Amino acid sequence: MTESPSFILPKECRPPSGRHPNAPKKPEPYVAANALVTAVNLAIYLRRPLLLEGEAGCGKSRLARYVAYELGLPLYEWPVRSTSLAQDGLYTYDSILRLHDVHLKQANKPGMFGAKSALPGKATTGRNPEKPMDYVNFGALGKAFRLDACPAVVLIDEIDKADIDFPNDLLTVLEEPWKFEIKEADDDTPPIVAKHPPIVIITSNKEKGNLPEPFLRRCVYFYIEFPSDKERLKAIINAHYLIKKSGETVAPPAAALTDAACERFLAVRNKGDLYKKPGTSEFLDWLEAMRGFRDLPGLIETLHSDEAKLPYPGLLFKIHDDWWRYAAKP
Amino acid sequence: MNDYDPQAILLAAFERLRKDFGLGVGELLAAYRAVAGGFGVEGPEALREVARLLWCHSLDLADDFDEVFNTVLAQTARPAPATEPVKLAPTVDKPPPPPSEPPVQATPNLPPVAPSRTVVEPAPLPVKTPMRPVRDIQGPELRAYWPLSRRAMIYAWRYLRRTVKEGPRDVLNVTATVEQTARIGFFLCPVYDRRLKNKNHLVLLIDQGGSMVPFHRFTRDLMETACDGQKSQIQQVDLAYFQNVPPDHVFRDPHLMQPFPLGNLLALIDTDTSVLVVSDAGAARGHRRNERIRATAEFLSLVKRRTTQVAWLNPMPQSRWAGTSAQFIARLAPMFQMDREGFGNAMNALRGQSRGRQR
Repeated sequence: MTESPSFILPKECRPPSGRHPNAPKKPEPYVAANALVTAVNLAIYLRRPLLLEGEAGCGKSRLARYVAYELGLPLYEWPVRSTSLAQDGLYTYDSILRLHDVHLKQANKPGMFGAKSALPGKATTGRNPEKPMDYVNFGALGKAFRLDACPAVVLIDEIDKADIDFPNDLLTVLEEPWKFEIKEADDDTPPIVAKHPPIVIITSNKEKGNLPEPFLRRCVYFYIEFPSDKERLKAIINAHYLIKKSGETVAPPAAALTDAACERFLAVRNKGDLYKKPGTSEFLDWLEAMRGFRDLPGLIETLHSDEAKLPYPGLLFKIHDDWWRYAAKP
Repeated sequence: MNDYDPQAILLAAFERLRKDFGLGVGELLAAYRAVAGGFGVEGPEALREVARLLWCHSLDLADDFDEVFNTVLAQTARPAPATEPVKLAPTVDKPPPPPSEPPVQATPNLPPVAPSRTVVEPAPLPVKTPMRPVRDIQGPELRAYWPLSRRAMIYAWRYLRRTVKEGPRDVLNVTATVEQTARIGFFLCPVYDRRLKNKNHLVLLIDQGGSMVPFHRFTRDLMETACDGQKSQIQQVDLAYFQNVPPDHVFRDPHLMQPFPLGNLLALIDTDTSVLVVSDAGAARGHRRNERIRATAEFLSLVKRRTTQVAWLNPMPQSRWAGTSAQFIARLAPMFQMDREGFGNAMNALRGQSRGRQR
């Protein structure tokens, strides 16, 4: 099952048993365009990060899960926040816990404060304050670097949320020696070197002005477009319901409903008067609502008529003006 | 397609794109490696895809890229030997690519904002246009003068910090805690610090209108980046506009409609304040006017009575100052041209670290 037709992983990087035990178990419904598959393959081959941009809800983050599932590799996600530092992706160091453990050890010593006054609570199980490496918490990149058997997929989600220095700091790690040091460790601890450089997928959805040139230069760039033809939209719907079914039985929406929904949705979207265009994920939610939420009489006729207001507009229009135009019609 | 030579095509395209796209040799080598690894060997279209993935870093550039790649393909297709196109490339460098195509292609996936104003009720319009990748580079001809990017501005503003420890002690100092514990021999209590706060104060004086019109885009960027406290990390920014020379009154708004007395602005300035003046000082038109120099000198002397951290940012390049009022005004206040280095030096002057180059 690892013979995925699309993504190519060099032989020496393939997980020994076909799938890594930590690889995502749940299949990810995703329809990747050929160009996107080429982009992923190129990024894997050149060991460069893949930078994805595109409208919200077009499946930027999902691609990482899909790649990880298809290749049978573990996935480490790193949602970036405005306070994130590049260092956090590698590791954080828990000095306070170490100090606490030292203290606990002393307190438990008979004669020091008396064993009776020993603090209740967890003993320092498995941790030894004399070993600094016991207090290292690895981040997404750190974990990926430490994998032995195969590379990992690392998703750095919404990189532009972070401080402007963030991408530059990342660059030094995502480059040739593929290693980093733990400065809290003893001097004789070797730096952490990635045996298999991770497959890094970065998403960004704000303006490009935020990312520095040297960083962009290093990346393979791909812009995910909304699937604007009906056939691809239908392929995505099929993929979704095919996978959803495993487990409980969910009937895919009737063909007539799918057709009508696709048509109306694309018509509204391509009309070009929306402030915020709904994405693929919103469309799927909307379709699911029409399929299974409540029976609406004459649903398909409503969809076909340009004049009638859309059912469940709250799933598609999130800005007052859009809502006003399409949902609040008398 | 027997004479299909991806390396020659890549090299020719690289030579033409290198500057505009900010590519390095590493990117060319990466493309070679990709070709060696079997990417893009099927034909020119596959090669285009590979090169675009590696070299294009925004949607805007994609149009330029296609155009350049097409011309390169057309050239490399004709001569059979693989070495020739490489020689050809520099000679073709001079005529700019025909500018007819990009403007047409530039619009299709932008949501048009204007035509939807038919709703009569004052429905609250979204203040911000929705997300779309920024398209700030319109075409090759407009890219010629781009002295300072917003990113560079934000970076430079950050050097303007003046940190002061302030407020309650509520930041845990891990190093000091560990040190104290080691010194005493047992854990007594955590060590807390006061929060570091940026107490910098910038007065930004922007020349508006007249000869500054071509630079409004940059002055607006300057203003926006400085006032966005989260990005620039400047705690307090006081903004004032003027035209040519700040006389008795300066203005609160860029349209020069809301005057307020210069004295009020001066009253805000103390020894810790940095004052940045953005003006061409007459260099744009190339005039030398004694009254302008005199008025500016008066103004500068008023400012200098209150703070020494003054800098003057001139959007005209330094080579154009000679013989104009700017040359004289540059003697009165450290004046810098508006590029990355000049702006960085201006920041130094604003921090009181250097008086600027003495000319």
